[in-house]
Amino acid sequence: MSILSIQNLKKTFPKEDGEMVAIQDFSLDVKQGEFVCILGPSGCGKTTLLRIIAGLETSTSGEILLNDKKITSPGSDRGMVFQEFALLPWRNVRRNMEFGLEIKKVSKDERRRISDRFIELVGLKGFENYHPYQLSGGMKQRVGIARALANDPAVLLMDEPFGALDAQTRNLMQKELLRIWQETKKTVIFITHSVDEACYLADRIVVMTTRPGMIKDIFNVTMPRPRDRASPEFAQLRKTILAELEREVVSAPATITGTEAQV
Amino acid sequence: MKGEMPINEKDAQSRKIWKKRLINLGIVILSLSSFTAVWWAVALYLNIAYLPTPPVVFKAFFESFYINDPNLGNKMGQNIVVSGERFIGGFFLALVIAVPLGLLMGFLSSINTFAKPIIELLRPIPPIAWVPFFFVAFGTFWNPILTVFIGAFFPILTNVILGVRSVEPAMLDAARTQGARRVDLFSKVILPFSVPYLMTGITIGLGVAWMCIVAAEWYGAVGGGVGYYIIISGQTAFYANMFAGMIVIALLGLSTVTLSGYLESLIKKRMGMK
Repeated sequence: MSILSIQNLKKTFPKEDGEMVAIQDFSLDVKQGEFVCILGPSGCGKTTLLRIIAGLETSTSGEILLNDKKITSPGSDRGMVFQEFALLPWRNVRRNMEFGLEIKKVSKDERRRISDRFIELVGLKGFENYHPYQLSGGMKQRVGIARALANDPAVLLMDEPFGALDAQTRNLMQKELLRIWQETKKTVIFITHSVDEACYLADRIVVMTTRPGMIKDIFNVTMPRPRDRASPEFAQLRKTILAELEREVVSAPATITGTEAQV
Repeated sequence: MKGEMPINEKDAQSRKIWKKRLINLGIVILSLSSFTAVWWAVALYLNIAYLPTPPVVFKAFFESFYINDPNLGNKMGQNIVVSGERFIGGFFLALVIAVPLGLLMGFLSSINTFAKPIIELLRPIPPIAWVPFFFVAFGTFWNPILTVFIGAFFPILTNVILGVRSVEPAMLDAARTQGARRVDLFSKVILPFSVPYLMTGITIGLGVAWMCIVAAEWYGAVGGGVGYYIIISGQTAFYANMFAGMIVIALLGLSTVTLSGYLESLIKKRMGMK
């Protein structure tokens, strides 16, 4: 059954000569517990899409239903993880995780119980009192994930969360995310421009076109986890999606130069 | 874990740091003593009343704390207290007005648009230029307080505004996706984010404010004060006392600015700002 339903979403931005269509005819149903990757070259509107789901931006037309309720503003039922971590530098690890709970006026004991659980879950035990500047990028993003989960959201929105990490840390964090996802059974919508990352993580990969951002193709990935990047199925899937993305980049308007798509 | 290293390597590193500090201290001592030496040589060579040698000035400096001044009939401690009260009064007034105004101007663009032209017009006026007006309009009590206020107000205001404006949009987004409303954004994100910027404003403001107190006390201050002490000593040819007063102001300025700068770097370090 679908937990999140995106229906005929359209988003335009005003421009000097009229308007720029960022997203058009975007419809997608996400199932409870599903891991969906939205994949596309830069400028395809995938981050805008995620921000509209988060309620940080409004759509021009169309609507998004979360558990059959229309989304109009940000809320802690949609946890978000940011590429630039966006931790509060004056708060230590624990207090960063407890931010949303403080706003909800959760009691101190209860906050501590919840943050203890997520510190354990993301593997930050012993670092509760560290401040963000004392943490590596990977550890910062562990805090980012735990902070979003501490609010017990219905869906976890991740905006290229590992984009700022080096290759090794990135691979490790992908494994860690799958472990956390399997333990918490959360629904995840994960934005990326890395084909490899999408193939490794997703139940379903939504490939987007550039300007306007529309759904080009959807791939159901049935390979069992943990996935072996060296396996023929993995290589085949990666090749297929990459070929599709490359066609997309070549046919894109001339104003968009290059692509960030990585193998 | 990243950032940790073996004990012996840590030891070697801290020894290195201490060695560097010791060398720096040596250079500071050398710097101060060469300054004093040049002063001494020039004073001896010129041999004029208005440039006393360092020992004469230092003697006047120490005596000013326990011998009554021939002009004012009081001791330096009393002058420091008088100037200090004016200083604290003016500085406190600047904080109380500049911080909330800066937060509002940074947060609400309509208030910023309204207040900015007035502030930009008044800001280039040197605090000292206000002294004659403050003296006539508000009298001897308020004149030094208001001059200090003007000196400290603008650095604090502009830095608080800068702080509010520098909040990373992603931090606000992250807070909003955790259920934060406008008031939470203000109190839990914008306000703490602005604190190191406020501290920068305070450090700069302190430096300016000490200049202001001397200027304000020049202009018909009553009841003493270090600035007044310097001026009256100069006018009555007690030149050693004049320099002693200058040293007092230098030490007051140096100690408050250093303390505030230290506090600022402590806060910035805790927030991971270098």
